Amino acid sequence: MIAKKSAPSWKQWVFPCLVGVILLAYPWVLGTVYTNIFIYFAIFSVFAASLNMLVSYLGVLSFGHALFYGGGAYATALFLDHIEGLGLFTVILIGGAAGAALGLIVSPLLNRVKATAFALLTLALGQLAYMACLKLRFITYGEDGVGGFPIPDLTLPGIASINMMTAENFYYLAVVVLSLCLLLMWFLTKTPFGSIMIGIRDNPDRVDFLGFNLPMTKAIVFVISGFFAGIAGAVYALFQNLVTPDGAFHIMTSFTPIMMLFVGGIGTFAGPIVGSGVMTIIEELATRYTTQIALFNGILLVLVVMYFRTGFVGLYLLIREKLFQKESS
Amino acid sequence: MAEKKLFFNLCLTLSLMAALVLLPHGGFAQEVNSSFNPSEMSDMSDFDPNNFQQPEGDTIKLGYMQIMSGAAASNGELFWPIVTWAAHDINKRGGILVDGKKKKIEIVTGDTQGKPEAAKKETERLCLEEKVDVLWGTSGSHLAKVIADVAKKYKVPFMNCLALSDELMDEKNFNRYTFRTLSNTTQWNMAMAYYFSKRPETRFSILCQDYMYGHSMAGAFKKHLKKLKPEVEFVSEDYHQLWLKDFAPYLTKIMATNPEVLYTADWLPDGDNLAKQVRNMGLELPIANIYITLRETLKALGVDGTENLINGYCFMSGDTPQTEAQAKLMKAWHEQWKTWKAPYDSDTYAWPEVVLGSTLNDTYWLFDVIKRAGSTDPEKIIEVWEGDVFQSIQGIRTMRADDHQAVYDMYISDYTYPTKEVYPGALYSEGFAGPGEIITVPQKYCTPPVPEGLKGRAE
Amino acid sequence: MDPMTFILITQLVHGLAYGMLLFLVAAGLSLIFGMMDILNLSHAYFFMLAAYIGYTIAGMTNFWVALLLAPLVVVALGMVIERFMLRKIHPFGHIPELVLTIGIGLIIMEFCKAVWGTQSLMLQTPEILSGLLNIGVFRYPLYRAFIIFFAVAMMILMGILFYKTRFGTIVRAATADADMVNALGINVPLVYTVFFGFGTWLAGLAGVVVAPFLSVFPGLADQVGFDAFVVVVMGGLGSMSGAFVGAILIGLLNSFGIQFLPTAAPLLTFGLMALVLSIKPTGLFGVRQ
Repeated sequence: MIAKKSAPSWKQWVFPCLVGVILLAYPWVLGTVYTNIFIYFAIFSVFAASLNMLVSYLGVLSFGHALFYGGGAYATALFLDHIEGLGLFTVILIGGAAGAALGLIVSPLLNRVKATAFALLTLALGQLAYMACLKLRFITYGEDGVGGFPIPDLTLPGIASINMMTAENFYYLAVVVLSLCLLLMWFLTKTPFGSIMIGIRDNPDRVDFLGFNLPMTKAIVFVISGFFAGIAGAVYALFQNLVTPDGAFHIMTSFTPIMMLFVGGIGTFAGPIVGSGVMTIIEELATRYTTQIALFNGILLVLVVMYFRTGFVGLYLLIREKLFQKESS
Repeated sequence: MAEKKLFFNLCLTLSLMAALVLLPHGGFAQEVNSSFNPSEMSDMSDFDPNNFQQPEGDTIKLGYMQIMSGAAASNGELFWPIVTWAAHDINKRGGILVDGKKKKIEIVTGDTQGKPEAAKKETERLCLEEKVDVLWGTSGSHLAKVIADVAKKYKVPFMNCLALSDELMDEKNFNRYTFRTLSNTTQWNMAMAYYFSKRPETRFSILCQDYMYGHSMAGAFKKHLKKLKPEVEFVSEDYHQLWLKDFAPYLTKIMATNPEVLYTADWLPDGDNLAKQVRNMGLELPIANIYITLRETLKALGVDGTENLINGYCFMSGDTPQTEAQAKLMKAWHEQWKTWKAPYDSDTYAWPEVVLGSTLNDTYWLFDVIKRAGSTDPEKIIEVWEGDVFQSIQGIRTMRADDHQAVYDMYISDYTYPTKEVYPGALYSEGFAGPGEIITVPQKYCTPPVPEGLKGRAE
Repeated sequence: MDPMTFILITQLVHGLAYGMLLFLVAAGLSLIFGMMDILNLSHAYFFMLAAYIGYTIAGMTNFWVALLLAPLVVVALGMVIERFMLRKIHPFGHIPELVLTIGIGLIIMEFCKAVWGTQSLMLQTPEILSGLLNIGVFRYPLYRAFIIFFAVAMMILMGILFYKTRFGTIVRAATADADMVNALGINVPLVYTVFFGFGTWLAGLAGVVVAPFLSVFPGLADQVGFDAFVVVVMGGLGSMSGAFVGAILIGLLNSFGIQFLPTAAPLLTFGLMALVLSIKPTGLFGVRQ
């Protein structure tokens, strides 16, 4: 639905301001444990949103998105482990660049396939990365992972140097970086390039006839998606101060954002964020009261696919529509 | 064959006895700070792991960090009767006097899910929200590392009684709040190497899991055995994928090299599958292992499958309790086990042995340390535990002050069948072999030096 | 005999035995995809469920009763899931199906843990199949020989079912053009349900057969499932001969890889899968994506 132009301008600012205040106050109200849970949620929002680019715009599902996320995480961790004096934003960008580079490398392969074959090829590539990561012990330190690397302070030249080892400080960094990523992804959909991407999903042949270089365009989408997944991975690496093959490349790392996407609502921009929130809350509740997290996830997936395929965002839109109709009648 | 084996066992025993005699007597009169007293043990006839009675009110909180969910949830299940048993026992004694007040033990579970990020999140929750006084764990060295880091950050003592990677307690990863009661990779392999240096076999095949742990275990074994027995030959060395399905191609390759012993550090389910497929291929050779010990597995392997399994650990009784305390514990546990419901009614839990026994032993040690500290203040606990010498249920345990690594005698046994009754009417095992004669490897033969960078740290 | 020849022949038979086991798991997966265009990610979980049920039945009676009954239980479950879940969401495309079957897989795993616990279970090899088979100088585990024999028997059975029976004719026709078959007055949805049941039956058989060979534990589905996926994807989704060739190929790659290229062995399978997919996205024998 397009926002009405006539709405008073202050109303448009209420919601973002409210979100801003909540985000600012969050760590001081809820404490370290919930602050860290929020960071985890934020990381996965971006990771799931980067996957959403492929699903929503190219219409393909990646079963190996952990390749980019893990690649970003390992790149950041290894750079910090081996090179001294790197800046905070530099290493985050290194993570993103690693994700983007991996996207570029695999794009010629991924361009050849679609639908189920795409899912399976990405699965194979993801597993290959997982195995290689366990195998290349002299680089990755095997299953113990890369850990204990120094986390650079956030230095604002001439102003301050902020220690990133405390949960609260890191929270603000993560929120800023990850919100920026989400905003960038959102703006991307509003650009002409975004229209081409949607065109590829709906009718690739037509985009081809219109004279756009289809493989090139798709490759760019893989690179962008890989970049944002890499950034999410980089923030994850800094947040955990430890990157392991299980955390970075395991098949569940690829499946988690898929589940989030579905639960939130596929094909919408808010979907991955909402899905990440819902799944985080469910996992939090499930771990506290049972040991059967997978059961809750499984039931949730079945219910979403069977009864509300548009996810929580779709559900919200449906409810809002019902209410709106009542008002007007 | 049996005669040959008997002969070698005899030689081994004699040489060990000779070693004992030759050592200066002063080295043995070790003074202990405290000991496990079997006569203090509560009547455990009301203990049920499925229905552990959490105490109310002001308690000492123990954070049980384990894999409780997912495909590897068996780890979390396995040690639950252990922590609850020890806690129940202490609670029935009235608890522990800390900071001027008798407090009982409450157990709070933290689910690592087998994932580092979940381990971090849960440890934080336990430290900050539940405010646990000590942390207990955990299977998987990479997870233990995460817990140790969080424990250090929030100053909560962490007893690592299940992860054995050397690196966890080296210069880089050492922290004051983490104590490792389990033997490390080097200790375990030194003991195994010492044992095999007394046996006649010289041709060894190595088959371990292809990741850091498997490689470091095999590397340590090779190094220490070569040192003690230069004529040894490692005829094959292979590393297989985790969760391997088909071992046969490896076994054919190994058989072609004609080894006398197969060495493996595999944990489950790989260890089980390996042992089973080795015997199915008609291979009778001894299998030196660390984790092929769960009784349900041994039962399925049968007599032929379990004879000649050679296991080493820091706690082992077989059918012959080695100490009075162990005898009392085994009887109390086994009698009570008969009343337990699923999943704890399975044969795996029949005796507090090997991994189960060692963690139970360590848990009692932890509680004894808290008792002597008279406080849950981490600094006081550290003060008591550093350099502590404890007469445990089996063996004297010393917590090295410099690197927080417990050192002690190790036990190794070649499995035999039939086994005897542990006490009248309670046969150790039926239809599968168990530890035969327990060989004690004295502490001095299985104690690596303190890491260079940590020497003199505690002074 | 020259020892190298001996090793080569033994590794060949090892590869066949493991390959045929994979074939049993993969065949159902591939058939279901070929006819119904569903990639059933819960297939390996049906396999695991059958292994657990087989373990219980074999404990109460014997292995052969388990081999008969346990697969039937999963068939019933599979048919219910096809009829009431998959059929409803089929019109919405591939992605919801993939996600739904992931969800079903997770639920089955938790169900197994709730019923059978989390510890590894091990079924004893049936008495008649334990020990070694002696053929001249070769001594080979009888149970592994049984796996080869059993899978070949199943293949023959499938051949007869598809090419010699009316059901087979309908299935082949429906695979080619479901609408036309429906127009001919045949209840295609019912055929689908029965066929889905048949696919899960094969997974169930494999599950019971694997129980004396591998520990049954909650990770069994992932352990074997990946290889089964590699097999069907390489062979070509929907192609029976593809599944067969893929299974044998993976089996041989595994045993010879271990013999000659041990450090690269685990990377070989997924590497080959990625290679085949990028060169021929439909797999070696597949015709449709």
